[in-house]
Order: sequence, then C-alpha cells, then structure tokens
Amino acid sequence: MPHLLRVRRVDDSGLAVATLGDRPVDVCIDGRRVWTFWTQRDTTPVGSPVGRGPWPVRHAPWPKPLRRHLDGHARITVRDSATGSVSFDRDVALGSGQGPIRVQNKLGVDLGIDKSGRLVPTFAGRSDADIAALLDATDAVIEALRSAGVEPFVAYGTLLGAVREGAVLGHDSDADLGYVSRHTSPVDVARESFEIQRRLRLAGWQTSRYSGGSFKIYVTEAEVTRGLDVFGGFFDDGRLYLMGEIGTDFERDWIYPLGTAELDGRPMPVPARPEKLLEAMYGPSWRKPDPAFQFSTPTRTIRAFDDWFRGTQPGSRFWSKRAYVMANKPLRQTPSTLAKRAHALAVPLGAEVLDVGAGRGADSLWLARQGLSVTAYDYVTRALQPTQSLAEEESLELEVRHLNLTEWRSVFAEGARLAQRPRPRIVLARHVVDSTSGTGREALARLCSMALREGGSLLAEFHLPTGDEGREDVEWMVGRPNRDSFTTLLRDAGASRVDVRELKRDGRPTVNVVGEW
Amino acid sequence: MELRSLRPGSSKAAFRRLEERVADLEADLTEVRRHNVRLAEIADVVQELLVPMASRDEEAIQKAIERFQESL
Repeated sequence: MPHLLRVRRVDDSGLAVATLGDRPVDVCIDGRRVWTFWTQRDTTPVGSPVGRGPWPVRHAPWPKPLRRHLDGHARITVRDSATGSVSFDRDVALGSGQGPIRVQNKLGVDLGIDKSGRLVPTFAGRSDADIAALLDATDAVIEALRSAGVEPFVAYGTLLGAVREGAVLGHDSDADLGYVSRHTSPVDVARESFEIQRRLRLAGWQTSRYSGGSFKIYVTEAEVTRGLDVFGGFFDDGRLYLMGEIGTDFERDWIYPLGTAELDGRPMPVPARPEKLLEAMYGPSWRKPDPAFQFSTPTRTIRAFDDWFRGTQPGSRFWSKRAYVMANKPLRQTPSTLAKRAHALAVPLGAEVLDVGAGRGADSLWLARQGLSVTAYDYVTRALQPTQSLAEEESLELEVRHLNLTEWRSVFAEGARLAQRPRPRIVLARHVVDSTSGTGREALARLCSMALREGGSLLAEFHLPTGDEGREDVEWMVGRPNRDSFTTLLRDAGASRVDVRELKRDGRPTVNVVGEW
Repeated sequence: MELRSLRPGSSKAAFRRLEERVADLEADLTEVRRHNVRLAEIADVVQELLVPMASRDEEAIQKAIERFQESL
C-alpha cells in the first residue's frame, strides 16, 4: 500500500504534511531520529489543499525543547515509524543556516524527544558499549531486587523492546522493571517497596522515590545518568495492578513463573505470557512501532493509583525544571523581609534557623553570613548545590538537607533528629504553604511541634488564591491555601500564639504568619 | 435513591442527585484509600526507629535515624 503522507515543507516553524490517516512518523536529523509525531493527533489543519493535491495540509510545530537546537543545516528525513517508508529526505537550512545542526547536550551526547515530550539522551545515538553498560546495570538491579525478595521482570518499553525487537528501543531513554508482590493490600505493597529501596540504598545504589509503589534507581553509564524505574504491582481478586498504567483483569500464571527474552543478546526475565502484559500496556497494536505512543489509562486505574500511592511530591516537576533553568543565574543577594525578621528573632534567642523550602538558598546563605547556624531544607535539593558549595568555601554554618513535607517518613525522621538536638529555633517557611498540598501544610505544623519544643517561632508567608481579582494564581500554587485553616493547624500543633497579617506582595494577596511556641 | 427511578422521563433533578451521589462515593473512596500509603509510612517508621529507641542507646538511635533518612 502506498504511504499516505506527503511532506510539503520543513521550515523554522515545523513541518507541513498532507495526509488523510493518523500514523506515527519519525523525523530524523542526519539519519538519527530526534522526534516522532502522529500526523493527525499532534498536528493542526492549515487551510485548503487547493492545487496541492487531494489531502488536507496539517502543521506539526517543532517541539519547544528541540527548537533551540535547530539552527544550521542538516539532512532531514521523515519516515513512517512502523514501515520505515521515507516521505521526505532533503538538505534543509534552518535559522541562520550556518554550520551543522546538532541535537546534543553540552557533553556531545545525542538527544531525542521521548514519549513525554522531553528532550533526553535516547538509546538511538548510543554505542554498543554504552548499551552494554546499561544492560549490566539492569542485570545488577535485577539481582538486587531478587535479593530483596521479589521476582522482577523487564516492563513497559524495555519489555516491548525485548519481545518485539530483541533490542532496546532506539527512541527509549530509560529502562523499566516491574514485579508483582505476593501481598494483596496497597499498605503492604508500599511497605515492601520501602524495604526494597532501603536494601538497594544499603547496597550503594542511588535512588529516589516518587510514589508509595515505585521508585527510580540512578545508573551512570559513560557520561549519561539514567533512571531505572522500579514499578511495584499486586493482584487483588483477579485484577492486576502494576504501578504506572495497569489495572486490568489478569491471570497470575500470565506473569509467574517468569520466562526469558533476549535484549541485545542478553537474557532478561519477562512475564510467562509477555504478549498479555504488552497488550495490557500498549493495546492490541503493540506489535506496530509507535515512538510517540501515549497511554490512555482508564480513569478508574489512575484514581486508584493516585489514592493508594501518590501525592508524595506535588509540584516537584515544576521545581526541578526551575532548578535547571535557574542554575546559571546569579543568586538573589538581598534577604527577603521574612529572613530579616528571622535574623532579628534568632539573635537574642541564640536560635538556629531552619529554612524550610529553601529553594536556591538565597535567604539561607544571607542568614549564615550573618553568623547564624542554618539548615536549608528542600525536596528538590539540586537547586541548593551552588549555595552549599559557597557556604563550604566561606566556612559558614549552613547545612543542606532533604525534606519532603508530603512524605510522613521524611518529616517524622527529621523531626526525631531535631528533637534529639534540643535548642531554640526559628522556622522560616517562605512560599511553602502555597506550594504544598494539605498533607504538606499539616506536616509543616507537625515539624514545628517537633522542632520547637525548646521554644521558637515559625515565620511563614504565602500567597492566597487570587479568587475574583481576575489575575492568575502563582504557577506553583497547590490546592487552595487558606489563612484560617493554616492558623488552626498551628494552634493544634501547640503554637501558644499566632499573629496573622494580610498584605499585598507583587500585587498578590499574601498572608504573613508568626507562630510562637 | 433507587436506580429504577431513573427511567426515561425522569426529572433532571433525579439525574443530578445521582451524579452528586456518584461524586460523593468517589470522594468517600478516595478518603478511605489514601490512608494506605500513610499507614505504610507509619508502620515503616515504627519498625525502623522504635526498636533502636527502645534500646535507649543514644548512638544506636542516631545511627538508626541517619540510616533511615538515607533510605528515603
């Protein structure tokens, strides 16, 4: 069958394609896939096709993260992802047209758009040695998971690669592992996941948790650090739940005993009936390549996972991205009003300052430079690294610590640690109340009750929802922070006095709270 | 409200009441389900920290807290 796709134009704005069907197509730069889009789903119509053939013309804009690389000239090829049939293959000049186009990071590693729209180091540009290094790491993690008492198998894109192609998928950027617990209750599945992560940490792996049922293991191969996702699963009354995307009627013996499939010549554990799991993951057309596949997980499954396991990192994607964007920008040199106030309160008390939600640490650094002992907390600590280095250079008493207000384990453990070192403290929480969930707000009050038993204060400032004022809320706002419910939380957590002031900051309704313990 | 009351010709109010009831049930289910991860967290903290704390060995307690925090 002839391919029903004509590429009319490739320019700085994107691709103009004429097509009737909706199929995934790969865009390659100098022979390497950098992006895949669906010809209907990811495009918009652009006027009439009069005189240009029978099919409507549609526009596929370049993905934003790719745009800044598209300056120069290159051979651009457009091909059908499933059949490989080529619709366009020409030298194209974009932007200034000067020099070759390179879609690479600073280290010269080739990048591509993954299925979530992020520009990441995909496997397409990796050498066999690099892929072997990742497979070594996958093997080692599988062993570590086995020693923690579960039977892991490769899952999602890694399973698809192994079963369909016998190799890692070129457009993939990470490796996925899954296991099905012997437990049937989400409580026990989460506890088991905690225990597995603990064992892996003890064995020296770098990990980070993103829900009660799944976490990431970081593996550095060559100069690229990749995350191996470990998805927990369980059976409940004939229904399989596998973190991420699956909630479906399933047979236990379609998973166990595990079988084997080859991934780049390496035997990898796979479910007993991998095709059954692949169909649950990618639908009946899983055999057809689709690098731009998007999950259409039923609302019932998403709700179940959200309720059981998630909600432990609201807003983290926003703050991680911001940490990346702000990394090379100079740090604010002047303290916030709240930090000046914290300083004034801390000095006479001989108190240390706990800067919760420290962000990039501008206030923490200023306070430490005034001679105070400061702990800078955040759940995205990456943004604090430059501040930590500066503090070390200047021999300041500034410690950076991870704290996630929406994980009770994090708050209880840090609260216990602080309770072991009793001293007066000032807790500074600038734009924490408005950037965390209800659980996080409760946890902030709990942390104060644990940290301030020897006396001290909480200084908090947060924006309120703008309501009817016709202005959008700050982009980091989570839920609807409320003045009265927050002050009630503080009183319930043992504050002897709570002073509240409403003001405008940056033209936004803002609340300033001082709680005394 | 009985489902059989929702026959063709049922009033808009009857449908609205049913929609509200489904929304309430979903909210109730969320309320129950969201205790899972919190209960798991509490059990994990107790299991990992209570035993060393019962020993009253300051050093062991500190180490247990440090080890626990590293595993998060």
